[in-house]
Amino acid sequence: MAHLDVSFFSSALRKNAEITVILPSVSADDYLFIEDHPDYYNPETKFQTLYLLHGSYGDFMDWGLLTSIYRYAQENCVAVVMPSGENSSYLTMRHGEDYLRYISEELPAYCTTLFPLSTKREDTFIAGLSMGGYGAFRAALEHPEKYAAVASLSGNLDKAEQKSVGNHVNKMPLNYRRATMGDELSIKGTDDDLRVLLKKRVNAGAELPAMYHTIGDEDFLRADGENFLAYAKELGVEIEYHVHPGVHNWIFWDRYIQDVLAWLPLKKDMVR
Amino acid sequence: MAYIKTHFFSTALCFGTDINIFIPTPDADELLTGKKNDYFVPGVKYQVLYLLHGAYGDYTDWLHLTSIERYAQDHKIAVIMPSAANSFYQNMNYGSDYLTYICEELPKFCEANFPISPRREDTFVAGLSMGGYGALKVALERPDKFSCAVSLSGAIDLENVIGGLAGMPGSPFVPQDIFGDKEIAGSDADIFALIRKLQAEGRELPKVYMAIGTEDFLYEANQSARQKFAALGVDVTYEEGPGIHNWIFWDAYIQHALNWLPLKNAPL
Repeated sequence: MAHLDVSFFSSALRKNAEITVILPSVSADDYLFIEDHPDYYNPETKFQTLYLLHGSYGDFMDWGLLTSIYRYAQENCVAVVMPSGENSSYLTMRHGEDYLRYISEELPAYCTTLFPLSTKREDTFIAGLSMGGYGAFRAALEHPEKYAAVASLSGNLDKAEQKSVGNHVNKMPLNYRRATMGDELSIKGTDDDLRVLLKKRVNAGAELPAMYHTIGDEDFLRADGENFLAYAKELGVEIEYHVHPGVHNWIFWDRYIQDVLAWLPLKKDMVR
Repeated sequence: MAYIKTHFFSTALCFGTDINIFIPTPDADELLTGKKNDYFVPGVKYQVLYLLHGAYGDYTDWLHLTSIERYAQDHKIAVIMPSAANSFYQNMNYGSDYLTYICEELPKFCEANFPISPRREDTFVAGLSMGGYGALKVALERPDKFSCAVSLSGAIDLENVIGGLAGMPGSPFVPQDIFGDKEIAGSDADIFALIRKLQAEGRELPKVYMAIGTEDFLYEANQSARQKFAALGVDVTYEEGPGIHNWIFWDAYIQHALNWLPLKNAPL
């Protein structure tokens, strides 16, 4: 696969942004073992795309460094775009940058213009871990017309309620949390509250992306996530849910991003 | 401007290789000064310059040692900077197929993965020193692909300079490893033999720009190259100026070259 480290000026963020992009391409294995290796370099070729979000305290390099996402991307013939969202929860910071617009609007437009990525909804997916699981749902529910599927690994889906997160939240500097959520340090009742946003989309009869949530049985966010799933069920929204042995760490995410890829409607081939 | 560092497996080289790429996209300056910045839209394509390094160099040289990113953004041209070791851009006798990589695989990879025009009239190649020779070699190998070639301080007159280059202290060149046992003169490593061949076939030649510093150790060899071009009736744009074989000269004259190239100074 081709590994692209990209740096560019983001008009949504009003600053430079870095992303890593994985594009399927002829690999050494293809060259060695496949007689007619796939025609990756046909000018008509497009790829299905997974936007993959990091968690709190992370950045665009995390997935590449701490999992084998490169190998999984090549095996599944899917492009992967990994941006940075700082600690913003990928929302429009009350004082700060507009990460929601960056992730859900600017980044897809930029990447589909710069790289051979399909612009179709059926080929566009978003996933993330922890804060990024929340961010993936936040982006997908902001623009359900753009994403065919969204997946959360250990995602903080019930962020507005946040019952079980405990002392973790206090590790994030208070001035940063105020910048993100405002002086009241709460997103409850706003569109950043996934309960509110999901209900809004359901009431509007929007076509929702397929949704997936997976978490470790000993993960501290497990109960919060299940509360959100129960609320979604009340709305008549089914979210595919899997609990596996594990905690809130990269062993879990490296293992279960593979299940997410198996669940996504991947063609395992180039698209036109 | 998108700066894209790309790593991929090259089937021509049979190992992973790096490319630095610039693609003009709206930047802070355009936002701040209200310049036209609505050009980056779906379906956009850019003219493209393949930019080759010299001996001892790699894909990072032009980025680190000149302001090529700024010039590319000003001219709205994509720039692609590959690595070719000390190969003189040949398929080496002992070594790797850098000519095939640069001429065949690299344009195919880049045209598929980045918004660049595949048309001859939009495709250019430039380089310095070994890469100045390389730009001509590549363009004459694929005159159907490249419409213009730029040599800065190039080792163009290879038959007359290779001995000296190989004999310099610390030289990375072992001519036999690169070219085999063949005589350069008249071979496919001879820029002027390639031109004669294309002329005999009635093929359209790429346009050529060459520049050399008046104090450069390759100055005399560039004069002989210029005479050989003239003898073959090849129309070459020639510039010289005070300077030696260094990045001050290349940073200045790549800007001259960009002004010489038939650039639209806008996306296509």
